[in-house]
Amino acid sequence: MMSAIHGSKATFAEFADSRDPELREQLVEQHLGLAYQLARRYDNRGESQDDLVQVASVALIHAVDRFDPSKGFEFSTFATRTVLGELKRHFRDKGWAVRAPRRIQELYLEVSAATEVLTQELGHPPTVAELAARTGATEDAVLEAVEAGNGYRTNSIDAPDRQDGTISSRLGDIDAGFEGTEDHQVLVDAMATLSERERHIVRLRFVDGLTQSEIASEIGVSQMHVSRLLAASLATLRKSFVTGN
Amino acid sequence: MNIIEPIGRDLVGTARQGSTHPPVEMALSVKDDLLVLARVGASTVASRVGFDIEEIDDLRLAVDELCLHVLQGRRSGRLLLAIAGEDGRIDMWCNYDGPDEPVDQSIDDEVLAGLSGRILDALVDDHGPFERDGLPGARLCKRHGRIDG
Repeated sequence: MMSAIHGSKATFAEFADSRDPELREQLVEQHLGLAYQLARRYDNRGESQDDLVQVASVALIHAVDRFDPSKGFEFSTFATRTVLGELKRHFRDKGWAVRAPRRIQELYLEVSAATEVLTQELGHPPTVAELAARTGATEDAVLEAVEAGNGYRTNSIDAPDRQDGTISSRLGDIDAGFEGTEDHQVLVDAMATLSERERHIVRLRFVDGLTQSEIASEIGVSQMHVSRLLAASLATLRKSFVTGN
Repeated sequence: MNIIEPIGRDLVGTARQGSTHPPVEMALSVKDDLLVLARVGASTVASRVGFDIEEIDDLRLAVDELCLHVLQGRRSGRLLLAIAGEDGRIDMWCNYDGPDEPVDQSIDDEVLAGLSGRILDALVDDHGPFERDGLPGARLCKRHGRIDG
């Protein structure tokens, strides 16, 4: 094992100088086991194992390319951080960040769809009892699904939405809105930690006073989608205050 | 692990006078990061008094904001919560009970309080500080059928 590590270090040093594709391939192959192990940590979260291994493998290649042996770190440490970061990003962008049982995931999607339909039919957002009746679930199960929905991440801002084009293409200038608040600059800095879409939605809800349904109509997503984005945005804002980032 | 426990009948006195429904009470360990239970508790009570799904979504955001505002970055102790729902409204009281440890110095209290206040303004009908037995805290009230804007 010791000779393999030393051999790997020597190979990385050589690759850093030569950028030889064959050395690169050799290094990637040597560490594929690490990518596989890390991908397995995210089993049972609703994503296929093959997809996760692929994400982890691509991240491993990036780690090989970016690793600088002169800094004295072990490659495994650097690669682990890189691969885990990519896997988390994958879940953040495409799936459930927090594992929820499949029945809850499915019910959440049903509740989300039923909310839109019932809002149209009733002319107002449905109650939990109405959602339970429509989906055939109990009221407690509906509430559980709604809570679990916080763990479901939304698509990229550039993903196509229900209207033509992308969400980002229809967002306007959103840098104003908190001028009346104390320490305006601090808030502006905190808002800068949000994505363009999150800032837009935060402003619509907390500055312009639109309801979640009104925001949903304006940007062309579901009310429950807006709810998730608001929750995530507020969490990010709080974190930015705590960390000072 | 005793993560939810009764917090004593005296807190019931903080609920609205004359209420026929005793409040749901809970004490949550701060370090265990159990705000989900506060949200579920408030959502369940709100559902029982006829809140629609959008109002419940707003309430869940407000519960987070209220509790985190009361915590001010503290990472130990307990949050004492009481939630009462009746006549299309929900009231919630939140107090911090724990060691008087320094609040995280990296948190800008005034700015955070300003942001929390603004967020709660948009989400609930009424909110404000609520001290009980010397314990710092805050309260909120949200009514069903509120007209925004």
